[in-house]
Amino acid sequence: MSLTPLDTAAAPFDAPHALQGQTRHAWWVAALGLSGLLFLSLPFAGLFISTPWNALQLQQGDLGSLRVSVFYTLVAVSLVVIFGTPVAWWLARHDFRGKWVVELLVLLPLLTPPLAMGLLLSMSYGPYSWIGQPLGQLGLNLTNTPAAFLLAQVYGSAPYFIVAARSAFEGVPRELEQISLTLGQSPWRTFWRISVPLAGLGLAAGVALAWVRALGEFGIVLIVAYYPQGIPVKLWVNLQDTGLSAVYPLLWLFFLIGLPLPLVLGALSRRRQPGR
Amino acid sequence: MSLHVKLHIRLPIALDANFEVRGFTALLGASGEGKSTVLKALAGLVPSQGEPFAALPPQRRPVGYLPQGYALFPHLRAWENVAYALGGKLAAQRQAAIGLLQSVGLASQIDLRPSQLSGGQQQRVALARALARSPQLLLLDEPTSALDTTTRDDIMAELVSRMHQLCIPALAATHDASLAAMSDWVVLLSGRRVIQQGPPAEVFARPVSVAAAALLGVRNRFAARVLRHIPERGLTLLQWDGANLPLYAPLMSSHPVSALVDWAISPDDVRLPPLKPGLAGDTENPLQGEIEHLVVQGASVAAALRCGQERVWLRAPLRLIAHHGLRVGATATAHARPEHLMCWPR
Repeated sequence: MSLTPLDTAAAPFDAPHALQGQTRHAWWVAALGLSGLLFLSLPFAGLFISTPWNALQLQQGDLGSLRVSVFYTLVAVSLVVIFGTPVAWWLARHDFRGKWVVELLVLLPLLTPPLAMGLLLSMSYGPYSWIGQPLGQLGLNLTNTPAAFLLAQVYGSAPYFIVAARSAFEGVPRELEQISLTLGQSPWRTFWRISVPLAGLGLAAGVALAWVRALGEFGIVLIVAYYPQGIPVKLWVNLQDTGLSAVYPLLWLFFLIGLPLPLVLGALSRRRQPGR
Repeated sequence: MSLHVKLHIRLPIALDANFEVRGFTALLGASGEGKSTVLKALAGLVPSQGEPFAALPPQRRPVGYLPQGYALFPHLRAWENVAYALGGKLAAQRQAAIGLLQSVGLASQIDLRPSQLSGGQQQRVALARALARSPQLLLLDEPTSALDTTTRDDIMAELVSRMHQLCIPALAATHDASLAAMSDWVVLLSGRRVIQQGPPAEVFARPVSVAAAALLGVRNRFAARVLRHIPERGLTLLQWDGANLPLYAPLMSSHPVSALVDWAISPDDVRLPPLKPGLAGDTENPLQGEIEHLVVQGASVAAALRCGQERVWLRAPLRLIAHHGLRVGATATAHARPEHLMCWPR
């Protein structure tokens, strides 16, 4: 219908000069958008250009940090999904007085700069703190331990998942859930067979977002769990100790494990919803 | 095949409904009157007090609810939508689901998703799904709204006859008077309450108020004043101020002289002179005016006659219109018999 790069189907058909103006306008918008896109992708092109492909060598401890990152991120994301989904559902499907307080509580960790969040965590979970000390007496040390690493990852990623999952649940027409009830199906079956599949795309996006956030968490981890060392801290250590040349192998591994899950989840959920 | 409904609803709108459901029942009301709310209350989706199914949660009420647009599950195929309502694993219920779909006349599209089905097919899938749990009452919210106008009447006739075969009482919320005309029982909802109920022949013939007439699709609704009563002829003479015409109406001796009344007449009862001219009585209420619109509707024509400040619609066979040579802008005289005038006090 139109030769312009943007959809100008709504443009008036009876005014050629106006259409011409619109065409020029559309080209401008396209050019701006393309240059923005180019700008965003420059660093990634740079990674390809700068990587010393012939001299890629892992530093000592790189593989260990890979194991730490993958394993604990899997655990952290599972925890976030298990405890975050009910919160998201509750926020999406219930209206109550003071709901904004709950919303604020969910958003607070997200709005707090990671480094500050790390400091807050060490104030509360540190060895001599009001929660950390009694927990320490019970044998649970939340500084520089795997548990502390998980703690940091959960605080860093849970709000992202909850926000995404909530909007995913809100996108499911409530009528379909009501119909399921009138068909004699329990609320539990309705949740699993209707709400979750229909919210699948958004839930997958939430999981992917949580995965990337937990895997890449640096600020909080740096303060409360310098050890065990995951990839972000190890990259920083490599950079400090050896320099930029020492980060390439681990950086590539970081991308290799960080990106597939979001991409696969995105593709899966798109394929599972051909009706949309 | 019948059921008594007595509901008291407070939210989202305050509404008291007390009526019978007999066979295929049309709950006729304007939008915003709470038809859908009554259905949702019966399905247990809106809190209410009263009968039937008091205090049961929706999943335990023996009703089949077909909302507006049918609300099929978009991620499930046609047969899966039905199998889901049967409970258990979908694959295990495939045969039963296909049986139900066949019973509503859908055999070949069972593997399609809702978005690939036409409005009528979606309605049948929703019906099969609602029948899966053997309901005692079917609730249909605006069953005609998602249908193409071309196939609508056929699909509705089929739906009504299918309801008769199933022997399940059905309550259809609608603003569509033509669906009400097809049903076994009509309930009129106006001003958040039931104003009239009965068999369609009776309700359409004698609407209890001008609001009821409006719901039943009577387009010709006007106001007039009582001039005098003529008890010996069983007539009351009205003055129709809008058209500045006197009108004979059935005797309404209870209305005082100069009282305001609402009156209405069906377009079918506004008649052009017949092909073979006879003598019209002096009480035939001649309505003379200019033809403003002529709309051909199959073998009949709807015509709008301008009488003073008012517009009267009439419906006549096409050949009668041709016989009189009527066209837009021409002057025509139609007649309205006094016994066809429906009058109500203001």
